[in-house]
Amino acid sequence: MSPNTATLVEPFEAVCADPYATARAAAAEGRKVAGYLCTYTPEELLHAAGYVPVRIFGYSDGTQRADGLLQAYACSLARAALELALSGQLDFLSLTVFPHTCDTIQNLADVWRRNVSGALHVTLATPVNVESEHAVRFYRAELERVRDLLAAANGPIADDDLAASIALHNEHRAAMRRLYAVRRANPGVLSGRDILTVVLSSFLMPKEDHLGLLHELVSALESAPAAPATGPKVFVAGALCQSADYIAAIEDAGCVVVDDDLCTGSRAFAVEEQACDDPIEALARMYLSRRPCASKHRPGHSFGRDVLARARDAKADGVVFLFTKFCDPWAFDYPEMREVLEEAGVPSLLLEIEQHVAPPEQFHTRVAAFAEMVGALHGGANERATS
Amino acid sequence: MSGERVPIKTAHKLMQLMMEYYMGAKAAESTDRKIAWVTSGAPVELLHAANVIPIYPENYGALCGAQKMAVELCEVAESHGFSRDICSYARTGFGSMLSEGGPMGGLPKPDFLLCCNNICGTVTKWYQVLQRYYDVPLLYLDTPFLHGEATPETIEYVRAQIVDLIEQIGGIAGSPIEQDGLYQTLQLAAKAIIIWGELLDLMAHKPAPMNSFDTFIHIAPIVVMRGEQRCIDYYEALTAEMKERVANGVAAVPGEQFRLGWDNLPVWFRMGALSKRFAQHKACLAAATYASAWAQPIDPDADDMLREMARSYLTVYINCGLDQRVQTLRRMADKFFLDGVVLHSDRSCKAYSLGQYELARTLRDEMDFPVLVLEADMNDSRVYADEQINARIDAFMEMLAARKT
Repeated sequence: MSPNTATLVEPFEAVCADPYATARAAAAEGRKVAGYLCTYTPEELLHAAGYVPVRIFGYSDGTQRADGLLQAYACSLARAALELALSGQLDFLSLTVFPHTCDTIQNLADVWRRNVSGALHVTLATPVNVESEHAVRFYRAELERVRDLLAAANGPIADDDLAASIALHNEHRAAMRRLYAVRRANPGVLSGRDILTVVLSSFLMPKEDHLGLLHELVSALESAPAAPATGPKVFVAGALCQSADYIAAIEDAGCVVVDDDLCTGSRAFAVEEQACDDPIEALARMYLSRRPCASKHRPGHSFGRDVLARARDAKADGVVFLFTKFCDPWAFDYPEMREVLEEAGVPSLLLEIEQHVAPPEQFHTRVAAFAEMVGALHGGANERATS
Repeated sequence: MSGERVPIKTAHKLMQLMMEYYMGAKAAESTDRKIAWVTSGAPVELLHAANVIPIYPENYGALCGAQKMAVELCEVAESHGFSRDICSYARTGFGSMLSEGGPMGGLPKPDFLLCCNNICGTVTKWYQVLQRYYDVPLLYLDTPFLHGEATPETIEYVRAQIVDLIEQIGGIAGSPIEQDGLYQTLQLAAKAIIIWGELLDLMAHKPAPMNSFDTFIHIAPIVVMRGEQRCIDYYEALTAEMKERVANGVAAVPGEQFRLGWDNLPVWFRMGALSKRFAQHKACLAAATYASAWAQPIDPDADDMLREMARSYLTVYINCGLDQRVQTLRRMADKFFLDGVVLHSDRSCKAYSLGQYELARTLRDEMDFPVLVLEADMNDSRVYADEQINARIDAFMEMLAARKT
């Protein structure tokens, strides 16, 4: 990484170093901040209603308070995020939005509403069957319902404002996709750890500000010379990863992260433009047609074949599944994903993580062993390809 | 302390009925009659109206659990890469599917699948796995979770999908679902639901003629045969026996002193031991949210029959938020004169369980209603700690006894 690139990444690192400081400061300046779980939340709607949308992660040290309200078999995202709220660290929020995701988040939404006060609480019934015109019609109505709720609190949301917010977010997602494309073509140009830092900060600061920094970074990377990237190339897949330490650990073990399927990653930016006159219909179609999370039902979709195809596109030598412990949707798909990869001769490694806990020793050991194994299979070919 | 239970005479008919059901389905495997695997909360009336045999992997999971065969089947699934943290019904089913093991050598193979997510999001993933394995059509009914009231748009969304299902099921079965046929099936289902509800209501009598440990067993027909005459016949016979018990003052738990509610699925592999433990404390489980979930009324004579189906299937207990669950439990406590409630925190069922600590907190702190939380699992005995559970039950019952004096 050139000194210039390092400078360009610094502002993103600064945001992630104290994840909610930026949003808290915005709130202190009188701006309304909306917190949401899950990337099926149409940030555009919140943005058009005048909020700074930020994503709620489990950035807490422990889960002492949350453990009194959620069983230990709730995933660490749910427990740690609830802990954050119960300990007052999200008290700057004016609004919280819970889209329907999975059994855990669905129940968390109610536990949260009954125990965390201060913000308007909105649940959004995102359809589970994402491939049906009935679902589009229903989701439009649901988004209109939320629009009315937000309008009641903040004044009407004009179609033009909504269209402008959609345009802003489309531009942002396109820029993020460009960032990913640069890395796929030139994996040594920016580390996976830095990429995740850019991604995470995009959820924690005003989109306009992030977009400005992102354009500068992507332009610099696109004109950067080919960078050496030795070591096995890996594709990372799972629900989410809220800490760049995990990606750093994978890279410290000698792997080069070339792409991912994470909702703190490419999946969040897989929302594509839709040509619709009605902005609400556009949102409904954009979010339902995006590459699905494992908690959704898209008839005929195979996560195994999808991960394989995307890993091949990125010329990955192996796949690291970064699963959140107790995340059922991904766990159900794992045997199929592993089998499809195995049949294609792509080695994979399953690692279960607790979102709010630093990578334990065993994580490092297992990644190192995997890196060695994949390196032995592919090392020679890689060196030729990147020299 | 005795802990003797009074046996139910009608029980032999249940065994016969369930045997007929499973054997009939097995025999149909080699005929033209279609078999559909279906989730426990799906609108099974559509299948009956198309002369399709519904098979319930969840019921089969319970059967494996009760026969203590679940763990070895779970281990088969786990050896194929399924995590120990996912639903133990699903693991039991996958184990049976992959090894052709379990009671009756596994279930008859499906011609298609019908999945409704009104009971959990887990079934979505479970049925996707089944779809890939059996390579048969998967029909899906999306019933958005209700944090508050169902909006007209939500009901319309479900209704529109039911209209599609009628087409799809008729197409696969090779015999279109007619309005009249569906109406008749709904009438039979509605009648069975009413009888089942009235049967449960008999447990409001002191002493209760039946224990929830009994209803967990006798629930099978309302789950798998709803919409068939034999389901009605069975519950009429069982109701007659229970009415006779009420008339004669026969208690399910002799010397009943305490009446408890139960929330969540049963612990299938410890039904006998748990039943005995509570009975030793003269405690009867007089009500259960799990049993009453199938007493959800449906009105076949509603103006728009399909809208009524949509409403009914949307608003089941487990598809409603915590506010609703608190109300349901509170009403149950009043109606059945409960002294306390047992919340089975079922590691396998996040949909049912996460939120129970908040339920417990609300009932205990805001309503001064005693609550016992038991950490267990419906099918996976490997996560069940007998001594710990028994100690907690004993302590809870001592506390209840102290409250009464």
